[in-house]
Amino acid sequence: MAKIILENIAHTYEPNASNPIFALKEMSLSWADGGRYALLGPSGCGKTTMLNIMSGLVNPSHGKVFFDEREVTSMITEERNIAQVFQFPVIYGTMTVFENLAFPLKCRQFPEDQIERKVKEVAEILNLQDYLNNRAKGLTADQKQLISLGRGLVREDVAAILMDEPLTVIDPDLKFRLRRKLKEINDKYNTTLIYVTHDQNEAMTFADNIIVMDQGEVVQAGSPKDLFERPQTTFVGYFIGSPAMNLYECSASSKNEITIGTNSFKVQTNINDSNSENLKLGIRSEYITVENEHSDNSLEADVIEVEDFGNYKLVTASFDSFKIKAKVKRELDIPSEKVILKLPAEHCCIYEDNKLI
Amino acid sequence: MPKLYTFLKYFFVVLWACFVIAPFLWAISTSFKDFNSVTGGATYIPWLQFEPTLDGWSVLFKPGSQGGINIIGPYFNSIFVTLTASLISIVLGTLAAYALSRYTFKAGIVKNNDITFFFISQRIMPPVVLSIPFFIFLSSLGLLDSLAGLILVYIVLLMPIAVWIMVDFFNRVPREIDETALIDGCNPFQAFFKVVLPNSVPGMLVAGLFCIIFGWIDFFFAFILTFTKVQLLPVKIVALNSSITPWWSLSAAALVSVAPLIIVAFIVERYLSKGNLSGALK
Repeated sequence: MAKIILENIAHTYEPNASNPIFALKEMSLSWADGGRYALLGPSGCGKTTMLNIMSGLVNPSHGKVFFDEREVTSMITEERNIAQVFQFPVIYGTMTVFENLAFPLKCRQFPEDQIERKVKEVAEILNLQDYLNNRAKGLTADQKQLISLGRGLVREDVAAILMDEPLTVIDPDLKFRLRRKLKEINDKYNTTLIYVTHDQNEAMTFADNIIVMDQGEVVQAGSPKDLFERPQTTFVGYFIGSPAMNLYECSASSKNEITIGTNSFKVQTNINDSNSENLKLGIRSEYITVENEHSDNSLEADVIEVEDFGNYKLVTASFDSFKIKAKVKRELDIPSEKVILKLPAEHCCIYEDNKLI
Repeated sequence: MPKLYTFLKYFFVVLWACFVIAPFLWAISTSFKDFNSVTGGATYIPWLQFEPTLDGWSVLFKPGSQGGINIIGPYFNSIFVTLTASLISIVLGTLAAYALSRYTFKAGIVKNNDITFFFISQRIMPPVVLSIPFFIFLSSLGLLDSLAGLILVYIVLLMPIAVWIMVDFFNRVPREIDETALIDGCNPFQAFFKVVLPNSVPGMLVAGLFCIIFGWIDFFFAFILTFTKVQLLPVKIVALNSSITPWWSLSAAALVSVAPLIIVAFIVERYLSKGNLSGALK
């Protein structure tokens, strides 16, 4: 187990090109020993490249990788002692389930009795104990993925377990149980878990720390609460949360007031440069309330649609030429035509050039 | 409708089976005939329509002094040359194909695909183009009219087939399997030998089948590069021909020479399906 540090890391797959495209733009990041991380971002944002740089499958074109104090940048994968689980199950089809799970330990020449004990322990965690003597090739897709996961879990001394969207092929119920299992493993063995996903719910429920990436850059790193309440960029606001953050172009009417169309709102942010042209207001639909009367920071909107999701209602309305979504309690009666919505100042985020002020 | 479909399906399968098996039945029947039975019009059923005789078969095993051609020596020569050349081609071809599939090679404008094409381009040339170079080559090595010389030439002819099939096979094998083996603690050689290779047996069997077929049926190089010391089966069978074509012994020889291929095809047939090739790993 180790602290993983990426120092000024950048990577391009075309190092000899005159104007190379960087899959990963220069960044420095550190992953605490025993931490539970989620790497979140849309497809093609550089998540897998970052994972492969850590495991040694890809050599970064720039920067250095450290495991604790030890530099491992040019060290080959086998020497890094890292476990990685891919999106689709990778099993050794000619081997039994037992042999598959034992393979990483055999490669490292662990004693037979220790291999047997550890394989049985992991098989039990993953509910594979009844299949140990079966050929891995004949199992279902989710059982195969459990084997892939199991091969990562058999080694107690791994620097980290890197998981590249590992639960994609697994059914929802098992997915939930496995995520819980992974948390238990993290608590029990203090193994660093880095979990790549493009599913924000998966990231929010799994990790203590979330790193959001976009176009090869880390756009925000923080706890699920930070990411939800104070998205550092409009991208994070839009990407995290369901529905996405309400975002409106606005102009500053004073240091603590902005205008959207014909409506003005007080905000707690100090807008230093009130002439800024590229200002946006962002507010989560969870923080918008339905009011009976007008007050500060309220607006009147035309109701377009009210969707009942069982545990909450989602009100979609329009004001001026903008759409607004509010997530409200299910019991609340929503007028069918006009609704008064309040945007609390403390939850209004102001963005300049798409970055939080 | 389903009944009609089933009927049509079986009807065509039976029709196709007859089409395939008819030449074999014809050859079997002819191999037991004599001159008169062959030239006296079409007959099919032994004992009823013609009196069966073993003359056609005995010629194959009698020594030359007794008017036979004795194919036993050439038969084993053919087996030895074909199997050895195929085996070496598969081993070298698999290694080359793995490298071409997994690593990037670049020399000027030449890249991986060009190297793969270079291999297969050896098969595009008409064999006659290669006959003189091969003759001079073997002659300079002192390997004319020898099994070793033939094996060398056959490796050159068969390896492109192995490379071509195996590159395609490895390209369909996800890279993640190699990467997983590396992560699990293998070095690149161990990853290949412990993980990739055992999973590549279906591809190697298919490549092996093609190598065996092309090696076994070659007449041209066996004829040009051997004289008296070493002979392969196809060359020996041609020696049967005379002013009167001996259809009976030619039929017997055809059956004997096609038998190993049928056996190999039956063994490998299950691996020829696409599912076995592509789904070997996931």
